[in-house]
Amino acid sequence: MTSMQPSAGEKWNLRLYTAGQSPKSLAALANLKKVCEEHLAGRYSIEVVDLMKNPRLAKDDQIVAIPTLVRKLPEPLRRLVGDLSDTERTLVGLQIRPGK
Amino acid sequence: MTMETINPQFEKELETLRQRLEEAEDVRRAITHGEVDAFVVGPGGNGRVLLLANAYQRYRQVVERMQQGAVTATPGGQILFANQRFADLIGVPLAQLYTAPLETYVRVSDRARVSQFIMLSARDSRVEVELTRRDGSTIPVQIEVASFADGYATLLVTDLRPGQWPSFAREALQSICATLEKLEQPAAREIRAEVERLAGMIDEMKDVNPGR
Repeated sequence: MTSMQPSAGEKWNLRLYTAGQSPKSLAALANLKKVCEEHLAGRYSIEVVDLMKNPRLAKDDQIVAIPTLVRKLPEPLRRLVGDLSDTERTLVGLQIRPGK
Repeated sequence: MTMETINPQFEKELETLRQRLEEAEDVRRAITHGEVDAFVVGPGGNGRVLLLANAYQRYRQVVERMQQGAVTATPGGQILFANQRFADLIGVPLAQLYTAPLETYVRVSDRARVSQFIMLSARDSRVEVELTRRDGSTIPVQIEVASFADGYATLLVTDLRPGQWPSFAREALQSICATLEKLEQPAAREIRAEVERLAGMIDEMKDVNPGR
């Protein structure tokens, strides 16, 4: 992995793009909250952006598939597409855990 | 060529491309694993969200169980979707309704009104017309614009025949009463009394004015 690992104690700013209450959107939010509570308790914030209400917001983070999670902070920006059901992949994708 | 000879600009571009490739690969993986149920399509800031079938399955189930007819139509009045209740109202098999002109099932003298109503499609607007059943009989209905999106209007069709809409209204009022019953505030009791009074009025209306 070429990017730096975030250091412990950093604030995590996460944005989850959803499509209303679609099953995958709900699953992604549930899985994300679980991961955050277990690994980032007390130092994360999740912003949910419902693209059904305002699809124009998809442009900001170049969203093509939903759900998509964007790690705004710590930098660099990272995107994870899908319902985050694979916890290991989510942890590595968010760089909470180093990749193999 | 060794890494030491790559200039920094090229290395930066290479890193950007690598990241974009990883993201594209992640989209492909998520799609093939069935982890997404919607896509943003359309150019630039004019994108819109397309839901995959399963994503609106729950809403579709609700629509199918509704006591009202539901129809989604093009501005020209072509039926794109109808629920079973609407098919039952006009006595036509559901499969025959898709892509059929809605006006086929509207009484001739009401067709112009319905066409104009669909073209305007102002949300929450209503019109009372008569539908023509397959057997030639007509039924009075109220058509309401429930939503208008992407040029298509979704219409709710309420049966106004005697014994039809009062029971529908009564169901709604009973549901409100049940909710109010759970609230223990004095205000809730007062509202509930008013709602029950309204239910009684509907019953009286049914007896006095059987045509509605």
